[in-house]
Amino acid sequence: MSGGENQELIINGKRLDGRMPDELRPIKIEANVLHNADGSAYIEWGNNKIIAGVYGPKEALPKHISDPERAIIKCRYQMAPFSSLEEHGRSGPNRRSIEISKVTKEVFENVVMLDHFPGSEIDIFVEVLQGDGGTRTAGITAAAVALATSGIPMRDLPFAVSAGKVGDTIILDLNKIEDNSSDADMPVAVSPRTNTVLLLQMDGELTRQDINTAFSMVQKAGTYISKLQREAIKAPYEKIKDKYNK
Amino acid sequence: MQIRTVTDDFIKDLLMKGTREDGRGMGAYRPINIATGTIPNAEGSATVDMGHTKVLCGVKIGVGEPMPDKPKDGNIITSAELLPLASPHYDIGPPTPEAIEFARVVDRGIRAAKVIPTEKMFIEEEKVWEVYIDLYVLNYDGNLFDAGTMSAVAAIMSARMPKYEGEKVIREGSLGKFETGNVISSCTYAKIGNSIVLDPDGNEEASMDARITIANDENYVRAMQKGAGGSFTFKETEELIEKTFEKSKELRGILKKAVGE
Amino acid sequence: MQRIVVPGEKISDGQLRLENTITENNATYSTVVAIYDEEKKTLLPLEGLWYPRYGDTVVGVIEEDKLNTYVVNLNAPYKGLLLTKFTEIEITTGDVVEATVKELDKTQTAMLMRPRKLSGGKLLSVKPSKVPRIIGSGNTMLKELTEGTGCSIMVGNNGIIWLKGKNVDLATKAILKIEEEAHTSGLTERIKEMLKS
Repeated sequence: MSGGENQELIINGKRLDGRMPDELRPIKIEANVLHNADGSAYIEWGNNKIIAGVYGPKEALPKHISDPERAIIKCRYQMAPFSSLEEHGRSGPNRRSIEISKVTKEVFENVVMLDHFPGSEIDIFVEVLQGDGGTRTAGITAAAVALATSGIPMRDLPFAVSAGKVGDTIILDLNKIEDNSSDADMPVAVSPRTNTVLLLQMDGELTRQDINTAFSMVQKAGTYISKLQREAIKAPYEKIKDKYNK
Repeated sequence: MQIRTVTDDFIKDLLMKGTREDGRGMGAYRPINIATGTIPNAEGSATVDMGHTKVLCGVKIGVGEPMPDKPKDGNIITSAELLPLASPHYDIGPPTPEAIEFARVVDRGIRAAKVIPTEKMFIEEEKVWEVYIDLYVLNYDGNLFDAGTMSAVAAIMSARMPKYEGEKVIREGSLGKFETGNVISSCTYAKIGNSIVLDPDGNEEASMDARITIANDENYVRAMQKGAGGSFTFKETEELIEKTFEKSKELRGILKKAVGE
Repeated sequence: MQRIVVPGEKISDGQLRLENTITENNATYSTVVAIYDEEKKTLLPLEGLWYPRYGDTVVGVIEEDKLNTYVVNLNAPYKGLLLTKFTEIEITTGDVVEATVKELDKTQTAMLMRPRKLSGGKLLSVKPSKVPRIIGSGNTMLKELTEGTGCSIMVGNNGIIWLKGKNVDLATKAILKIEEEAHTSGLTERIKEMLKS
């Protein structure tokens, strides 16, 4: 995000990749992609390619971090050193990935029924294999599917997407170029059942009216993203059922 | 701690009866599948499935300074991550000795066989091409070395070559193929009791006494690494080298097919 | 009508008292991936974890031999504990045992009783939610498996299965097939067919 030097991101009402302001990039989700993990999912969201894996609940270690009343969640978000079209990136935690890991964890602390598993831990790993803007929101969307397939009970299946602003236009689902030179970026994660906000970050400049518009865009897009998540979770079962119903 | 799925003597009992958990022969690989170009942002990439073992290799090519002792040669930097989502036994943290050994063994084979012709990677004084090879283990079920070498070689063979123009690396647009020098593969064997098996899976590695990896091209052995506490006799080692030359024809065939050669 | 539901999905207006659900604002929602049967008003989890209950059979590995208790790894968020004074058999760390859940304590530890040592063989880990199908109603499926393969098979409610015998390979394949296809009909027939060939 730089604001200021605004390269032309919207021409004749369309974005550089041909999308309308409120249009999502193509999204594909596949559940149960890893053999060892208790739950897993792979998401392709535009040019983002992200894999999420879940382990647990298992005994919380080291012991002193465990909570006798409920399970704790550990989360790590990481970008692969080959994930960008630019220079090779150094791996290992940096301030950005540590923050994203934290806010992702907090999304799931809202919906996972932690009180069912006192003294245990649930691990969520989000590995960004290729990144093109919006990796934290795509990662949360994938992690929700991974958690569902692990059998860990949840009050809801959260989704996430970002909104932002270019010039006077509010846009949905910013890609990397848009993210780099937009006037605002606002990732949001939502529990669709209760329509509550589980993650909200923002920087740049937005008016109250802008935020209002952005929120409606996010909620509208959520109906579609949620549908894709549900279909991805059900797909392996439907496939086997179909095989024998024929 | 996740439970081990086999008791200690189970694998040994099976081998004594001349069979393995999944019924394959002592000198057989599990099904191998290679997909190249899985990460288009990387100059080269390949995902290898060897049974349930899944390794993704991403190759990034950039410009850097040469090593002081080899001012005209390009650089190769190989790293490996045993991602915690790949196994209940992998943790978050700095690279383990296991991960470092894995990266170094793959690196040695690729260097020794000149899969990457570093002598052709000079740009100008103090500037050479450098190739980053990152091995990402997505699911562990034994034999990372062979799957890792295969994913790295497939990623290099299918990589595109950036251009260096006006002090800038150009990574998009019409680019040629990265010019590779050689093709290498490796065969890893595990010694369990009195048996020696090719391509050990996770349970077999957990029960093995010793492990040996032999990396070769058409004519030469290029790298070897013996691992774990047990030992091999000289005779066994020589026999395994013979077997590897035979088996590697098959592996090079799979590799060439995967990159469309 | 049966349909597959996911966490957060509404299964019914009105409040149903069902396991693996939550009720809010006079509606009932699933908390797991499950099959909901509209007529029977039942929710059958497809993915789910094991909660120890009195009388459950478990299979686990002795992890620690403490002064007066054995700690049993059940591959679950809960540990099993066996008091040595109730354990008449000789067991040591690494042994596989079958036991029954006697009671639960507040720290989510399952007190076990009536241990039996399982020597040799192989352990297989399946989703606990699929265990009822692997056993079958009135043990029908398990009977097919043992008779069809000649293996000794011990199924723990915690999702650990112990197998021993000549055809462990076939038995493993059959169990994994049941796990994968648990939600389909005609499964018993298909397993019978598989074991015959």
